[in-house]
Amino acid sequence: MAFHQGLTGELYDRQYSNKTLLSRIWDYAKGHRTFFIWMMITIVLQGSFAALPPLLISKVLDEGIAGVPNETAYTILVATIIFLQVLDFVFYYIVRRLLSRITADMNRDLSVDAFASSIEQDLAFHDRLSSGRIVSRITTDTNDFSMLIRLTMDVAGSTVQSIVTAIILFNTEWRLALALMAFVPIVMLVVTRFRKLARRVTTQGMRAMANVNATIKETISGISVAKNFRQEEEIYQEFKTSNTTSFKVNVQRGFVLSIVFPVMRTISGISIAILVYFGALTVTQGLITAGAWYMILLASDRFLMPILSITSYWTQVQTGLSAAERIFALIDSERSVIQSDDLKVESLSGKIDFNHLGFTYATGAKILDDFDLHIAPSENIAIVGHTGAGKSSIARLISRFYEFQEGELLIDDIDIRKFDLPALRRNMGIVTQVPFLFDGTVEENIRFAAPNISREEITQLAHQIGNGEWLETFSNGLDTQVGERGAHISMGQRQLVALMRVLAHKPAIFILDEATASIDPFTEYQIQQALGLILQRSTSILIAHRLSTVRSADRIIVLDHGSIIEEGSHQGLLEQGGHYAELYNTYFRHQSLQYVEEAGQILGKDVTGKIPA
Amino acid sequence: MTISEFKIPFRYNTNRKSAVSWVASHALHHWPIFLVAIIGAIGNAALASVPALQYGVVFENLTGGNPLPSVFLRAGAIVGISQIIRGFAQFFRNFGFEVTAQRIERDVRDEFYISLLGKSMTFHSLQSIGDLMARATNDIREVNYIFSPGLNMVLGSINFLFIPLGIGASINPALLLTPVLFIIFYFISIAHFLKILEPVTQEVRSTFGTLNSRLAEDIDGIETVKAASQEAAEINRFKENSQAFRDANVKQGDIEARFIPLLLLALAMGFGLLHALILYRQGIIPLSSVITYFSGLSMLGFPTNTSIRSYSQISLGIAGARRLLSVMNSENNLDQNENGHSGAISGKVNFENVSFAYDGQNLNLHDLTFEVNPGQTVAIVGQTGSGKTSLVRLINRTYDPLSGSVKIDGLDLREWKLDSLRAQISIIEQDIFLFSKSVAENIAFGKPNATHEEIVMAARKAQADGFIEELPEGYDTVIGERGATISGGQRQRLALARAFLTDPKILILDDSTSAIDSKTEDEIQQAIKLASEGRTTFIITHRLSQIRWADLIIVMRKGRISAIGTHEQLMQTSRSYRNIFAEAKE
Repeated sequence: MAFHQGLTGELYDRQYSNKTLLSRIWDYAKGHRTFFIWMMITIVLQGSFAALPPLLISKVLDEGIAGVPNETAYTILVATIIFLQVLDFVFYYIVRRLLSRITADMNRDLSVDAFASSIEQDLAFHDRLSSGRIVSRITTDTNDFSMLIRLTMDVAGSTVQSIVTAIILFNTEWRLALALMAFVPIVMLVVTRFRKLARRVTTQGMRAMANVNATIKETISGISVAKNFRQEEEIYQEFKTSNTTSFKVNVQRGFVLSIVFPVMRTISGISIAILVYFGALTVTQGLITAGAWYMILLASDRFLMPILSITSYWTQVQTGLSAAERIFALIDSERSVIQSDDLKVESLSGKIDFNHLGFTYATGAKILDDFDLHIAPSENIAIVGHTGAGKSSIARLISRFYEFQEGELLIDDIDIRKFDLPALRRNMGIVTQVPFLFDGTVEENIRFAAPNISREEITQLAHQIGNGEWLETFSNGLDTQVGERGAHISMGQRQLVALMRVLAHKPAIFILDEATASIDPFTEYQIQQALGLILQRSTSILIAHRLSTVRSADRIIVLDHGSIIEEGSHQGLLEQGGHYAELYNTYFRHQSLQYVEEAGQILGKDVTGKIPA
Repeated sequence: MTISEFKIPFRYNTNRKSAVSWVASHALHHWPIFLVAIIGAIGNAALASVPALQYGVVFENLTGGNPLPSVFLRAGAIVGISQIIRGFAQFFRNFGFEVTAQRIERDVRDEFYISLLGKSMTFHSLQSIGDLMARATNDIREVNYIFSPGLNMVLGSINFLFIPLGIGASINPALLLTPVLFIIFYFISIAHFLKILEPVTQEVRSTFGTLNSRLAEDIDGIETVKAASQEAAEINRFKENSQAFRDANVKQGDIEARFIPLLLLALAMGFGLLHALILYRQGIIPLSSVITYFSGLSMLGFPTNTSIRSYSQISLGIAGARRLLSVMNSENNLDQNENGHSGAISGKVNFENVSFAYDGQNLNLHDLTFEVNPGQTVAIVGQTGSGKTSLVRLINRTYDPLSGSVKIDGLDLREWKLDSLRAQISIIEQDIFLFSKSVAENIAFGKPNATHEEIVMAARKAQADGFIEELPEGYDTVIGERGATISGGQRQRLALARAFLTDPKILILDDSTSAIDSKTEDEIQQAIKLASEGRTTFIITHRLSQIRWADLIIVMRKGRISAIGTHEQLMQTSRSYRNIFAEAKE
């Protein structure tokens, strides 16, 4: 179920040793070396200075007791206190500015690298992985990672403060200082115990939350169905159950997390109580001064608080490290499509040759075996066959979305592995089954592959299809916003825009994986017109689902289990009465006008005498 | 009370006037636990000052010439016991705020969800699910964080601002000066801090939103990006977007860096100490009071340091609440009309001069008038965007027309009780939505108490039982994201089965599926035939055969009826209609 989805790993996940992880993180950090050095210096200074005030005060107090009130000493003391606090402000200012730059920059660089890596992956990679999870890796995980840097800096500051305070304490009165140190192992013990528990309840909390998200997403996606059937109450109850579960689990988590600090606080309170009593006794024995005793108490907080925050840091550092591991796994994921050369072709004639080609999917299924196909420049071929015959694989191999294992694939007699991929694809126009549009205007989408085409040229092209009437169906013509993934416009309109993209781009090779979804008959007519224009000037590989498209091809290839079993023209193949005729009966018959009339019988209509005019 | 299509009274009333009052009304509802948290916070702060006071007592005793171990013991015991109690107080504070925060998260999400259910389809069709999801999860989380850690830290530390007041007053009223001034300037500078932080945190959120949505789009459309060889361009765009996000973050960091209360703290510590020392020199207060006073002043450091992050947190939470309210307070234009007419529909439908606009301004339908008799099958055809879907959505009152009247059995839809109306009208939408439940549960969605026999019977009529039997677990197979995949044609037949089970008087079929093979096409034709028997049926279809054999055909063009009649009539009168049959012939 969706419940556990977010918690399982991905295929490309790998384990890195802590050393590797740190050195990889350093690769991103070292560009900011000077920043880091300045920040560390500032942090050491800040930590050291923060430990000073108690020392100063105890000095003055001792003088006060000795009965030598000294005005200059007071002035110096007050001035120093102000100076130290102002310094603290300045240090904080410097650290915060440097830190926000470092974390924001590293965050940006990491996510850009992760994005670049995933976008350059071949389709075999994306076929297997959910896009949502890749996205969350690129954004959420990089955020978790920058939290790690921020925490590390906080902890560095705390550590310095703790060490400096400890040194001062030992110099002043080592016995009391040692007593204070006894507190450290106790804290460590409590924290280790607590960490496991905290991690367990946190994971549960995340799962419950993921469950709530899944429920909301599903029920809101289906809200119109719920409204049509007036079942709002039912989906509300479903939501409520998961929301309540999440609440309960998160309160449990809150309980565990709320308990740790008070426990620490109590332990430190008791240690201080002991210090108050035994410390004062030592003073009466003349071993230490009252000022030193007071200073130790004042400093104890400055020593203990950083220790408390360091310990809580360890519960979070794992989150950050595993986030880093996940991002690096994405960046390092192996590519399977590898080019051996980078031939930057300007234009191609569009000759395509498959020679003894063998292609196996990542899943291990053999799709094409010893496959031969030769396509002449500007020839239009349609590929037909049952599902799983390997039609899409042929198109996707030409697009170089996948790597093949045996034989060769030549474009204009050049090995496809030798091209520079962007240069090769600039010569190709590819329309996928579900045309994908980007958020933006119709015009921007048409221009996607041909950025330099003018608006006039686009308008002119648009008018070659059905007198441009399709443009009028958009609320705002070429400037209509299509929405994310083209959601604001209809499926038919999306296909027209995708075809316009190819018309504007004028590629040597046109690859169409035809949509199976039906389109209203009026738009259908315009799509066929656009298709006709493209076919005139490009070598075309059509994975056809429409009768009219099949008919418009020069040559039809009938594919079965990765082999060509028949080829020829529509009429010729139909007359042969072989595999194509059988395919026609299975897949295309119902698209003919003859079927429209026959359907009258299925629909129980009186068909006699009702021949369309 | 807002008007809504669906009402579940929320368990208590909330004030939705502003983000602050709304969050406050939720918090007030949970006042007992909130009170426990606040008492915990106050107890924690009060007990925090105990050690400082005891240090003073012991110090006085030590320097007084006659040190008494019993005094030390007593002081030690007071410190120890007070800190143990303080541990409990701190626990009540932390856990109290945590429970408050979790309850508010639960209730806010509940209230938000109920509000979403009540929204009309006008709202839902304009709202992106991704955006609603972001609000229902991230923004609600931000509201949670207002309380824990936000208010927990603020209310937990704010008490510490007042401790020096108490200590100062107990020593010498003159010593109130520094803490009073500090408190005044502290609040002024926090207010200023929040004001300049607000636009920047909003920028952080919006730049992240842009980054994230384009990223999601790129990964979903990876094939298109590659096909058009736009990887480099998209990486550049991603770089620009992440640079904008980075810049906003740095801006926020720079504002947080200039944190004036830290400077105020420096002044307060210095001048407070100076003031106390002067009083000591004048012999007005003893040296031990100087210590006590200074320890008290040191406590100002805690609220100062914690406020940097906790106030940013609260401001983010209020921004989140504002985003939630903007959705909840948006207008609904339908109401369920509890007292309206209810009764069996016979199936006569009239459109009288109906105009409609999704946004209330730009007309999507212009002045439609037609009549459909009970039991007729109507085919609605036209190019995409011509208004076919809008037209049928008016029939079950998903939307109300802008002007004119839609009537069923001669009665305007607004006179009908919404429940009665929708229960008798079934819409099968273009994108057929199936829940991640079993096939049987999906079929029975409109009639949850249907027996297994009824479900199977409905599936059989819809020609769906054939493929259902072939699924791994038959009727118990779970469909959806992680379950069995169902083709478009199969989805449609499941939806038809749903409709058979509720036996509507009017059936609306927005049919964009296409049969992949001719056998399936035969089955779909059969299913639609059975479905349309004995009820008024509207079919938006791309199937020439359905259009060809309908009782009435409405040809839509740019929101108007361009032709209406039977197939024979239209073949005579409409050229564009004739075209589509001519083209198919080829």
